[in-house]
Amino acid sequence: MASKDGPIIVAKDLTISYELHRERKKLTALQDINLEVQPGEFVVLVGPSGCGKTSFINAISGLVPKETGSVKVRDEEVTGPGPDRAMVFQDYALLPWRTVESNVRMPFEFQDLGVSEAEKNKRVQECLELVDLNGFEKSFPYELSGGMKQRVGIARALITHPDILLADEPFAAIDAMTREAMQGEMERIVMETGQTCVFITHSIDEAILLGDRVVVISYRPGKVKEIVDINFPRPRMSNSEVKTSGEYAQIRDHIWKLVKDEASQTNRGE
Amino acid sequence: MANKGQQNAQVFDTDDPDRIQDIGWTAREVWRRSRGFVVTSINIMTFFILWEIVTIYGNINPLFLPKASDMFVELYVGLTTRAPEGAVFSGSILDHFLHSFSNLMFGLSIAILIGVPGGLLMGGNKYIEAILSPYVWALASLPRIALVPLFILFLGFTTTMQVTIIVISAVFPIMINAWAGVKTTEKSLLAAARVFGANRRQLYVKVVLPYTLPFIISGIQQGIGRGLIGVVIAELFGGSNGLGYLVQRSADTFNTAMNFAVLLLLIVMSLSLINFTRWLEAYVAPWRSANHL
Repeated sequence: MASKDGPIIVAKDLTISYELHRERKKLTALQDINLEVQPGEFVVLVGPSGCGKTSFINAISGLVPKETGSVKVRDEEVTGPGPDRAMVFQDYALLPWRTVESNVRMPFEFQDLGVSEAEKNKRVQECLELVDLNGFEKSFPYELSGGMKQRVGIARALITHPDILLADEPFAAIDAMTREAMQGEMERIVMETGQTCVFITHSIDEAILLGDRVVVISYRPGKVKEIVDINFPRPRMSNSEVKTSGEYAQIRDHIWKLVKDEASQTNRGE
Repeated sequence: MANKGQQNAQVFDTDDPDRIQDIGWTAREVWRRSRGFVVTSINIMTFFILWEIVTIYGNINPLFLPKASDMFVELYVGLTTRAPEGAVFSGSILDHFLHSFSNLMFGLSIAILIGVPGGLLMGGNKYIEAILSPYVWALASLPRIALVPLFILFLGFTTTMQVTIIVISAVFPIMINAWAGVKTTEKSLLAAARVFGANRRQLYVKVVLPYTLPFIISGIQQGIGRGLIGVVIAELFGGSNGLGYLVQRSADTFNTAMNFAVLLLLIVMSLSLINFTRWLEAYVAPWRSANHL
C-alpha cells in the first residue's frame, strides 16, 4: 500500500482564500500552511471556528482550489478528488433515498476502480462489519440514530481502501456518550486498517485521545501555530490510565491555552 | 453482536435488531390508529343528516338549499346515465366529468412535460436561468384568468383552448418547484458525491435528480389545484362541455341540486388527486415525512 519512504501528504506554503461576493473583498482562510503527514499517521487539527481547518481538509480532498502554494499527495499535486482520499462529513452526507448498503457502495458506482462485483460485495460486508452495522444493510439513513449514520459514513469512506481518511468534525453532531463510543471505534478502525488520517475537531480531549500529532491553527488568517506530539500508547480509549495521567492534563492544558488565545480573538468579533 | 472492538461501543446500541420484540395489538392501539377515520366518517355523515333534517323541517326554498338527498340523487343519476347519441347538449354529469377529467389529465401531462425539464434546466444552468426566469416569474405572477379572453380569441370555444388554459395554469408551479429543488440540493451531498468520484453527469443523475423528485411531486400537487381552477374557468367562459359548463348551466336552469352535485364532485375529485400525490410523495421520499414525526 503506502510507500513507507517520505511523507504521504505535503502542504507547502498553502494559501486559500474566498471571495466575499457582496463586498468585492477577499477573505484569507489559510495562509502559508506547511505540514507534512507521514503514512499511517493520525493528525488532528484544532482551532477556533472559522480558522480554515475545513479549507485545509477540502484542499487535500480536492474539493476546494488553492490560491498559492501546493498540496501534494504521494508527490502528486492535488487537482481534484481521487479514490486514494476519502472523507467523513460532519452532517454524515448520506443519500437519504438509498439504503445503508447502497450508500456504502456509492464510491464504486461513481468511479471504475477495476474491482470485481464479488470483491465489491465482500468489501461492503467487511466495512459494515468493521463499523458494527451488519444486519442494517436494507435500512434507510432516516431510520438510524446519529451515531449509526456516521458509522455508515465511515464504512462508505473505507470501502475503496483509501490511503488517506479525511474527517471534518465527524462526531460534532453526536451526543456525548455515543461520541465517546465512536471515538473508540475510530481509533480501533484506524489501528486495524493502518490508514493515514487527517481529522478536525473542536474537542481537545478528542484531539489528544485520537491524534499522533495535534496541529493548532490560529484564527484568521489560519496559520500553523504549534504542533504538539502525543505519545500515549494505543489503544487509548479503553485505557483509563491515559486520561487520568498527569501528562495528559499537562498536554490538555497546553493545547487549551493555545486554542483559548485564538478563540478570544474570535470573540472580539474580528 | 459482541464481536471485536470496544465494549462501550455496544452499550449504547439500542437499535440492535435482536432487541426488537413483538408486542401484539391491543384494543386501545387499534382505536388510536383508526379513530381519525371513524371520527371523520361520523362527522361527515352527521353533516349531511343535519342538512337533510334542516331542509325537510326548515321550510327552506330548494332554490337556495336543496335537500342533501336530492343532491345525491342528481349525482347518482348524473353519473349513471349518458347523453343519447347525437344530442347537442348533455345533461349527464358523467359526460361532462369525463370531458373535464380527460382535459385535466392531458393538460397536466403537457404541463409536466414542459415544467419538469424546464425547471431542471433553469436550476442546472445559470444562463438558461437568467434568460428564462423573467418570463417565468412574469407569467407565474399574472392571474391566469386574465389570459382566458386572449386564448378564446386565438383558439375559439374549443377543447384546445380549454387544455391550453389548464397547461398555462399548472406549468409554473411545477417548473418553479423543480427549479427550487435543483437549487436547494444539499451542498454536503454534492460534496460527498464529488469526493467519491462523481462526474458532472453523475452529480445530476444520482444526486440532484433524486433530491428534486419530491419537489417535483409537490409542484405537481400545486399544479393539480391550479389546473382544476383552469378547467372550471375555461369551461365557464367558453364551451358547452365540462363540469364548469354544467355548474353554469344548472344555475341558469334553477337546478340547484344539480349545481351542488357538481360542486361535490369537484371537491371529491380535487381531494382524491391531491391525496394521491401526497401518498406518492411519501412513497418516493419517506425520509421527508419521517422528519416530521
